[in-house]
Amino acid sequence: MLETLKELCSLPGISGREDKVRDYIISRIEGFCDYKIDPLGNLIVFKKGKNSPKNKIMLDSHMDEVGMIVTGADSGGFLKFATVGGVDPEVIIGRTVLIGEKNIPGVLGIKPIHLIEKSEEQDLPKKDDMYIDIGAKNKEEALSLAPLGEEIHFESEFIRFGDGFIKSKAIDDRAGCAIMIDLIRSELEYDCYFSFSVQEEIGTRGAKASAYTIDPDYAIVIETTTAADISGVKGEARVCVCGEGGAVSFMDRATVYDRSLYQKALEVAKSNNIKAQTKTRVAGGNDAGAIHKSRGGVKVLTVSVPTRYLHSPCCVCKYDDIVSTRDLVREMINNLAV
Amino acid sequence: MEYSEVTCLLRSLCELKGTSGDEGAAAEKICEMLGRYMPSKIDTLGNVTGTRGEGFSILLDAHTDQIGLAVTAVDDDGFIKVARVGGADCRVLTAAEVIIHGKSDIYGVITSTPPHLKADSDSGKVKKFDEITVDIGMKKEEAEKVVSPGDRITFKAPFSHLAGNRIASPSVDDRAGVAAVLRCLQLLEGKKTCRIDVMFSAQEETGGSGAAAGAFNSQADEAIACDVSFAAAPGLSDDKYVALGSGTMVGYAPSLDYAMSRRLTEIAEKKEIPHTAEVMGGSTGTNGDDIQVSGRGIKTALLSIPIRNMHTAVEVVDAADIENTARLMAEYIIERSAENA
Repeated sequence: MLETLKELCSLPGISGREDKVRDYIISRIEGFCDYKIDPLGNLIVFKKGKNSPKNKIMLDSHMDEVGMIVTGADSGGFLKFATVGGVDPEVIIGRTVLIGEKNIPGVLGIKPIHLIEKSEEQDLPKKDDMYIDIGAKNKEEALSLAPLGEEIHFESEFIRFGDGFIKSKAIDDRAGCAIMIDLIRSELEYDCYFSFSVQEEIGTRGAKASAYTIDPDYAIVIETTTAADISGVKGEARVCVCGEGGAVSFMDRATVYDRSLYQKALEVAKSNNIKAQTKTRVAGGNDAGAIHKSRGGVKVLTVSVPTRYLHSPCCVCKYDDIVSTRDLVREMINNLAV
Repeated sequence: MEYSEVTCLLRSLCELKGTSGDEGAAAEKICEMLGRYMPSKIDTLGNVTGTRGEGFSILLDAHTDQIGLAVTAVDDDGFIKVARVGGADCRVLTAAEVIIHGKSDIYGVITSTPPHLKADSDSGKVKKFDEITVDIGMKKEEAEKVVSPGDRITFKAPFSHLAGNRIASPSVDDRAGVAAVLRCLQLLEGKKTCRIDVMFSAQEETGGSGAAAGAFNSQADEAIACDVSFAAAPGLSDDKYVALGSGTMVGYAPSLDYAMSRRLTEIAEKKEIPHTAEVMGGSTGTNGDDIQVSGRGIKTALLSIPIRNMHTAVEVVDAADIENTARLMAEYIIERSAENA
């Protein structure tokens, strides 16, 4: 799974441009399942298990990542951009990005510290004042190298460091994709549907359609969620903790989860000696928000890999947690099928 | 690729890590690079120095150190607290990748605050230095085995080839200057010149101590300091700042020797070397200030290479400007050597 995750993270795929990620996933699951691509670009997979389940189960993770998109250039040749998904200016100023098919490098510049007024020292540049420098001499050169609408993603190598940690862009939610690829390539006890969904980061748009198409009884969303287990943060404010296994949600900003499913997941983890934890803050949201309202309603569960610095070029998680999350999801399939 | 010579030089120089006062490893490599042109050594304060030739003498200076951070403590959660070395900029630290030069090189990410822990009033605000920590993925006990207070921290960021001959990298300030001086020596290879002293100085970013001591040892007749300066960019109008790629910047300032500045401009005109003038109202904020008043005093000029985003991990420079700075220095030395032969 580690190598799969590394390859997945290296691919560009902002919302609406998930093609390369989808092509890679298909190359990995071909021969292990049936699949189709729906009109929005969701990759919908049916995997035959050893038995037919009583309940139809859908697993979901999203292929898209946050990034930016080219919206213009000024007369000096500096690109203007819009963010795609939630990206805080503070994590991109001073970073390197890659643009479009040709991976044109650019940097997010800033007025040098020597030349700013005292009053500017405490304030980050406003979104409208930010720009990307690709070295172009004027507007024409800039837009010929990076045309309007071109995709911009973070340049951020996949690195293993510290005590079993991983750093990369796009761990949100390629970690979920890697887990689903692993499950599809393995032997499952029960038939199962999978949705590799598009456009989660701009409002869970893809999963809305794939949940309609699959029409499941139960859905398990495999995600990443904020781990705020950083310097000086104590107790429940940490949300979840790296190294303590998949984080199970009881409620977030988009979904009130089925209580019995939430409790069952924690029980199943315990009885199978799989590390798992409760997500201790009502924050964020994911595809479950779209799926639970699909058709006549779907019971949903979310298990997330605890991840520090989500939506930044440097997401950080622990590989062990990806393994625990996969193991818990596998047990839950068996549990919900009957 | 145009300007491949200086671009390659710059690349190998930018790969070196050396914050102020800890130039050691970088200085050794640069000493080796200088050794191709003249006998070179590292002096008491860590300056790389070399000299060749006799008689009338010109000192060329560029600084080896780069801005960075230093470890002050490992906190209870295993995160690393920092202080700045030189004028590191808080606004560009969040989510930056760094290397801590501890027992070995340790990878780390500068932490960012998750949205749910941020008050609305903090949005768009810059963190203070004492709020900045580095995540190295270790618990306190493990971290303390490999990281100690005083260890230096540098950016881990790519050397990117942008459009044209432009490059983005950490530590272009002042490895671009070092590259220009080395390129100048290459251009002078096989030519008979006056005495050339070279000083790749330590500790410029923390106040110029290296250059003060190094220039005292040299006591050359004239000196040219070579550093980087501000290029126009969004927010920095081209009425006041020069364009990247517009050539070497000849410094004019009360502290600089006016005759030398004039001469450099004249030679640039004559040899058709792209150049601009950089005018300052007092001293220059570079090593030139320390060199000028060392010992009995040294006539000093300043050549600057325009860069964008100074003191960030994405300092942008045009290789043509480095090449033109090297050419002007070489032409100046050739003329002054002939006059003083």
